[in-house]
Amino acid sequence: MRRAAWLLGAAALIGALPWLITTPYWRGILVLCAMNVLLALALNLVIGYTGQLNLGQSAFFAIGAYASTILIKSYGWNFWLASFAAVLGAGFLGLALAAFAVRLRGHYLAIASLGFAVITYQVLVNWERVTEGVRGIYGIAPPVRDTVALFYLVAAIALIVYFVLDNLVRSPVGDTLRAIREDEISAAALGVNSALWKAFAFGVGAAIAGLAGCFYPGFVGTLVPDAFNIVESFTMMAMVIVGGMGTMVGPVIGAVVLTFLPELLRGFGELRLMIYGIALTLVVLFMPGGMVQAWTALRARWR
Amino acid sequence: MGDLAALIVQQSLNGVYLGCLYVMVALGLTLIYGVLNQINFAHADFVTVGAFTAFFAATRLATKVLGVPDTAAYLLSIVAAFGMGALLGLAVNAAVFAPLRERGDELRPLIATIGVSVLLENAQLALFGPIPYQFDSPFARETIRIGRIFFTGQSVLVVGVSALAIGALYAFLRFTFLGKALRAVAQDRETAGLMGINPGLLIGLTIVIASALAGMAGAMLGPVIVLSPFAGASVIVKAFAIVIIGGFGNLQGTIIAGIFVGVIEAFTVQYLGSGLIDLVVFVLLLAMLVVRPTGLIAERKEENV
Repeated sequence: MRRAAWLLGAAALIGALPWLITTPYWRGILVLCAMNVLLALALNLVIGYTGQLNLGQSAFFAIGAYASTILIKSYGWNFWLASFAAVLGAGFLGLALAAFAVRLRGHYLAIASLGFAVITYQVLVNWERVTEGVRGIYGIAPPVRDTVALFYLVAAIALIVYFVLDNLVRSPVGDTLRAIREDEISAAALGVNSALWKAFAFGVGAAIAGLAGCFYPGFVGTLVPDAFNIVESFTMMAMVIVGGMGTMVGPVIGAVVLTFLPELLRGFGELRLMIYGIALTLVVLFMPGGMVQAWTALRARWR
Repeated sequence: MGDLAALIVQQSLNGVYLGCLYVMVALGLTLIYGVLNQINFAHADFVTVGAFTAFFAATRLATKVLGVPDTAAYLLSIVAAFGMGALLGLAVNAAVFAPLRERGDELRPLIATIGVSVLLENAQLALFGPIPYQFDSPFARETIRIGRIFFTGQSVLVVGVSALAIGALYAFLRFTFLGKALRAVAQDRETAGLMGINPGLLIGLTIVIASALAGMAGAMLGPVIVLSPFAGASVIVKAFAIVIIGGFGNLQGTIIAGIFVGVIEAFTVQYLGSGLIDLVVFVLLLAMLVVRPTGLIAERKEENV
């Protein structure tokens, strides 16, 4: 019942937001925020619940964006069909990365996945015949008529994804993933097929990131490889950590905070990203469990 | 000597020169990993800060204020960058690694250093602007010719300084008391602590050495790369690849892997074009990880550093 109430509340908030925020610029930030929530939820499944250090998430975001756009622009597919194909493609590439995760641990996996993102980025730059390289693809039409509709669409998808993942991590599947995170060898001894479930987490995580990627080109209107630099992977990671990884609400809060913080700091001009960097470091130093854990601790002290 | 043979020798030498630059960047990463099991993502920005320090030390301070000749000024600037790197190391240890050390997880220091990296990159952007600087090394003007093989004074200098730095690091780790204590901490921090070694101090020392090497690498890379606040980022992904190929925390492995990647890069530029360097390096990295998941030169858990 409480969960249903929370979900209804979230849906009501999403419905109300475009009424509260009326300038076109900030409505655009809302869309970005909804996309970031999707990306953070996806990465959290891999890092937070399965404990796999994945720094290559920007690759799947990129594949979702490029695959859907190319299918629409060069092959005349309709948006939904192209997005479906792009999500599948990103998911399958997630399985490819999982093949490494089965054999590599900790930092080795981190760098291998980073390499995966570097390769994807380089392919986008160099395969000019298909991706237009650094020149970029221009004039991409959004799938719906205006920013508000796009926000409703992406936010509704984010809400559905949240609901599905929330149920997933409460199910025995969630226990299995957490068992792999805590101790892979013990999990294997209990009969958990860790290779299979890692592949599952990577595949689902990649597919969701790819889904977020489908909406990005229509929102920005242009597509250049630099939007999918490896720095994007770090930003997603930061959202998960700042919010609180391994919780469902955490990454959502992290995504909201880290989307709006740089925008709210715009008044500081050049100092903006310096403040952002300092804030990121301070949060990690003083809120090791992220904002969710800090909040729980604060509430416990109050009682 | 035939054309092809001359070309191969020439590109191999170019590769060794490039490789030495990468080794200087990667050594710090692998040193920190070997002792702390941590990754410092701000390492790239230490390289950039080193490059800018060297640039201003050589072009403003040494030649204009002190009035020394430009060759001596460049050599001095390498020392200045080394010192600046050491200072940054002290700072990042005090701010990030020392406070987070007790908690013992691998993710948080990584994210915290990403924050440091964003801070440093944008501080430099505010100070120096996005337009690249032209950093000329006086040694790059000297060309040495042996038969049909050409190389610049800069490459001789880089290889020489790198060899000196590696030699000094080895001598330090093998023969000095502090070096032995550092290896003891790398092997087993708790036991080393019981033997009267202060692990915190030695971990700090490791980070300072690693960062000083990064600063020095910046001084030598400055004339080679596009000197902008984002310069380090272009080198660091390769340095990560090198650290993995060499086996994380394995110093010999890193040196061999660094030169290997340098040579690969030289031949990639010759035969495939410079746009494909990162692609080739990382495809090789992933292919290698499939065959040998712990690096080409296997990780030796007992004695890494």
